[in-house]
Amino acid sequence: MITAGIDVGSKTVKVVILQDGKILARSLVLTGFEQGKAAEEAFALALKQAGLSAKDIQKVVATGAGRTSVSFATESVSDVAADARGAVFINPNARTVIDVGAEEGRGISTDTRGKVIDFAVNERCAAGAGTFTEAMSRAIEVKLEDMGELSLKSTQEIPLNAQCAVFAESEVVSLVHAKTSKEDIARAIHDGISNRIAAMARRVGVQNDIVLIGGVARNKGFVASLKRQLEADIKIPDEPEYVGALGAAVIAAS
Amino acid sequence: MTLDRAKEIVTNRHDYAREWKKKTGSKVMGYFCTYVPEEIVYAAGVLPIRVIGSHEAQSYTEPHIYTMFCPFSRDVLAQGLRGKYDYLDGIMIGHSCLHLRQAFGAWMTNVPASFSYYMYTPAKIQSPHAKEMMLAETTEFKKAVENWLGRPITDDALDKSIEVYNTNRRLLKQIYELRKADPPPLFGSEAIELVLSSQLSDKAEHNKLLESVLKELPQRRNGPQGGNIRLMIIGSEDDDTNFLRYVEGLGATIVADEHCTGSRYFWNETVPEKDRLRAIGNRYMNRPPCPTKDWESRRRFVHIMNMAKEYNIQGAILVQQKFCDPHEFDIPPLKALLEKNGIPSLFLEFDITVPIGQFRTRVEAFLEMLQLEVV
Amino acid sequence: MVTSIKKYQTRPLDSFKKAVELRKEYYQNVREAKQQGKLLITGGADSMVALPAGLGDYVFFEGEPYGATISMDPEFSGKCVEAAEAKNFARDMCAYMRNYWGSMFLNKYYFGGEFPKPDFVMQLGFCDTHAKWMQQVGEYMNAPYFGIDMPVGTPGRNVEAKVKYLTSQMNDAIEWMQKVTGRKYDDDKLREAVRNECKSSTLWSEIVCYNKAIPAPLEQRLIFTLFIICILRRYERKSVEFYETLRDEVKQRVADGIAAVATERCRLMDDSQPPWYFLQLYKYMEKYGVSVVGSHYSFFLGGSLEEMPDGSLGAPKTPDEMGMPMKTREDILRAYALWYIKKPIISQMFALPHFKSETMLRLVKEWKVNGVIFHLNRGCEGTAMGQMENRLALTKAGIPVMTYEGNMADRREFDEAQTLRRIDAFMESLGLSKLES
Repeated sequence: MITAGIDVGSKTVKVVILQDGKILARSLVLTGFEQGKAAEEAFALALKQAGLSAKDIQKVVATGAGRTSVSFATESVSDVAADARGAVFINPNARTVIDVGAEEGRGISTDTRGKVIDFAVNERCAAGAGTFTEAMSRAIEVKLEDMGELSLKSTQEIPLNAQCAVFAESEVVSLVHAKTSKEDIARAIHDGISNRIAAMARRVGVQNDIVLIGGVARNKGFVASLKRQLEADIKIPDEPEYVGALGAAVIAAS
Repeated sequence: MTLDRAKEIVTNRHDYAREWKKKTGSKVMGYFCTYVPEEIVYAAGVLPIRVIGSHEAQSYTEPHIYTMFCPFSRDVLAQGLRGKYDYLDGIMIGHSCLHLRQAFGAWMTNVPASFSYYMYTPAKIQSPHAKEMMLAETTEFKKAVENWLGRPITDDALDKSIEVYNTNRRLLKQIYELRKADPPPLFGSEAIELVLSSQLSDKAEHNKLLESVLKELPQRRNGPQGGNIRLMIIGSEDDDTNFLRYVEGLGATIVADEHCTGSRYFWNETVPEKDRLRAIGNRYMNRPPCPTKDWESRRRFVHIMNMAKEYNIQGAILVQQKFCDPHEFDIPPLKALLEKNGIPSLFLEFDITVPIGQFRTRVEAFLEMLQLEVV
Repeated sequence: MVTSIKKYQTRPLDSFKKAVELRKEYYQNVREAKQQGKLLITGGADSMVALPAGLGDYVFFEGEPYGATISMDPEFSGKCVEAAEAKNFARDMCAYMRNYWGSMFLNKYYFGGEFPKPDFVMQLGFCDTHAKWMQQVGEYMNAPYFGIDMPVGTPGRNVEAKVKYLTSQMNDAIEWMQKVTGRKYDDDKLREAVRNECKSSTLWSEIVCYNKAIPAPLEQRLIFTLFIICILRRYERKSVEFYETLRDEVKQRVADGIAAVATERCRLMDDSQPPWYFLQLYKYMEKYGVSVVGSHYSFFLGGSLEEMPDGSLGAPKTPDEMGMPMKTREDILRAYALWYIKKPIISQMFALPHFKSETMLRLVKEWKVNGVIFHLNRGCEGTAMGQMENRLALTKAGIPVMTYEGNMADRREFDEAQTLRRIDAFMESLGLSKLES
């Protein structure tokens, strides 16, 4: 059976095509203003990679914030269900799934079959982990992809105290003015975000294995901060941003 | 300088309490709000210490307290959840605000202790009947402590406890009296450390500390300079002495305060009477109030304005723990009242960690403005 | 839990219209109290509202329901909360209060005309906000203010001392009210008002017990419309009459198997006040076949439940039914004090979290609830207190729980899209999908 999962996130759309438990293709495109169009584009791209046409796909399941915009989906599931299912598919020992994307962070506790036991989504004040890092990288004039490496070179811990991203931003600005090194600011930013993500994850009860997914999982600085906060090891799949889409494809196949 | 010893107690508060326990073989009780009759605990041979936070970012409390509650209450709870107070034998709280009550409830539920007690401390302290209600509660509390320890608390022990506590209050007040001078012999950050160390240590020992501070202060050479801007700090629980040091490094001296980590804690003494519990309870009803207990009329502002006058205040910093409802009620009318009396004020909202960088511009601008007014 | 969809019979509730009328009339009475020759008193919804009855005709203008009412009108509410903020009051303070204060600062009554000027202000304080809210009102409106301190946090302890503390304060309040109004105090009128209040409350308690039935004859939105009389007008005879009629009607609905939600297949409970401006939330859940059968808040703001001889929760007896003497003023005040000491909203919600957790677990069991939704309500520190520990206690007992963040009366703090997505995810985890209409 061939299925597809489409994860329409606030920033990117991800597609995974799955055949009998094997990934045939993956694609990722920017969401932009028209979610529906982006979904079609991403789907077409994945089909091309797999050398298939739309009629070869028996079932398409959409997930993500913009999941209702996928007109060609057979059905849709919530992000938490897709995340849990995808994470357990990759790592059967996954019990806590932490998904950190551009706009939303989620903590999910799952059973052995990838069924959601409990979940928490970041509250409004702690929203936008991914977007926030991006904005902050601009504030300290560093490329987003360099933020992680940079923060690993930090020599001191500076707490970013503000709960709210807007206030945190003004704090970062004052650190810049105080001539704090970029390394230390980068770490402070990651510490600040991971602190809020860890707090959210603790709500559902953190149990091994902890699997971190979503685009922000690629940021080594963030991962280091989160490990410190949770005082635990964290597993990161090879393609962390595709886990939601993969979960949707798995659900489609079941 | 003995002042350094006070700072040391505050910094190494856990070591102090652990050593005290080892030395005396007695129990330690943590209390969550200053509206508790500490004298009863002390009379029982148990050391009452105030539970305060550590000003470190943490991710432990979110499953237990929702983030709309004040940073102090969350910081306090984090200490318990992280086991920082694992030497406590008991915990207690006096009825005050919902924020700390929540920290207490979550602590009680999640951190084991052999004794935990919620005491109803009346809120309408202005009612002529509050003292009677307080007496009923202190009586029950005393019984509970006696049951816990398996021995009675004698009148004699209560008398001694009251005496030790009153001496502590008197000595602190004497030191505060010296701050009326220009220059005062000690910094505001040091004064707060004296009060905090009192809350964190055995009062009999602390009395000795205060006595030697009183002896040393007249000879002190490295105190604040004369002619500095004279500031008062007013508001919520405030143990962030780093921030105070920062302000006092900018050409200002904090000469007075109105915090429960400051003057509100010790300003009045217990007036002895035959019924010891009544005497103890009355003192808490008569102390300078927390805003949550200040109604229908506003007695708190009288204390503030008296202090402002007596200490010749030029400006005030209003410190509020973010989301602290009781203080959020008082700050707008207080700001207006200070202004009416020619005292400019700066409002700052404190979080678990204080963003000195963010406050810098505001504090500096405020002090600049005050300097211009002096000229 | 999900079975094939059975459709229950449903029909509109006759008492609904009456409740709406009574509420409308109340707000009119507030506006016209002076013309009607009645005293106008303002204070909190949990005040001892029967106490001024001895002075003669009066209207008790309650702050919280008025704040909730304003919040349903985005434009007016926006102006009100901004007016409060313009006076430097923090935006994280009680959202009911900021709406009420804003209306007062703007001197605009929501139902037309100027903000009603009270003859005096009377409050019962057991939240950080209550007493201080009305302190500001007294000062701003230049109206005399009396606050009564309600001992909370220690259920079961020092009950006699608490009764004495409350009755002493009530006696002071009576003296004080006579002084500030120049009226004489009539104990017979007090007795009648206390009786009305207690009876309204027990009737309401009886009514919510009928909601144990499957299908539930009432659901939360309906409950909110019905419970308000027991808040606003509980000291009036009209309130008792209303609840007697309602009780009979709900009883009949249960006998006839009438559902509030025809497609009921999952029963949920929620917690804290809802976002009043977004009650569509309940309608949205109905699409999944969910009936929200009540909450600690909606049951206990007006009512009270206690253990019956058979071990189940049921309506308590009124002081008269318990055989308490109600002859002298002291008798009445004593009964009234005990009534407030026992109120679960006061004794449980404002105490340490396990008191409320235990009750919630019982409600879940007896009302046959499949899951609980917590509104983490930034607008009310009182009902938000302990919510996270309550959540943990329910989770520990194996009850599915969901939370969403919001504010009961300040929509700037509510994210509609995110909330609905969370609900979708929660429904999915309960194994529910939307029903075809």
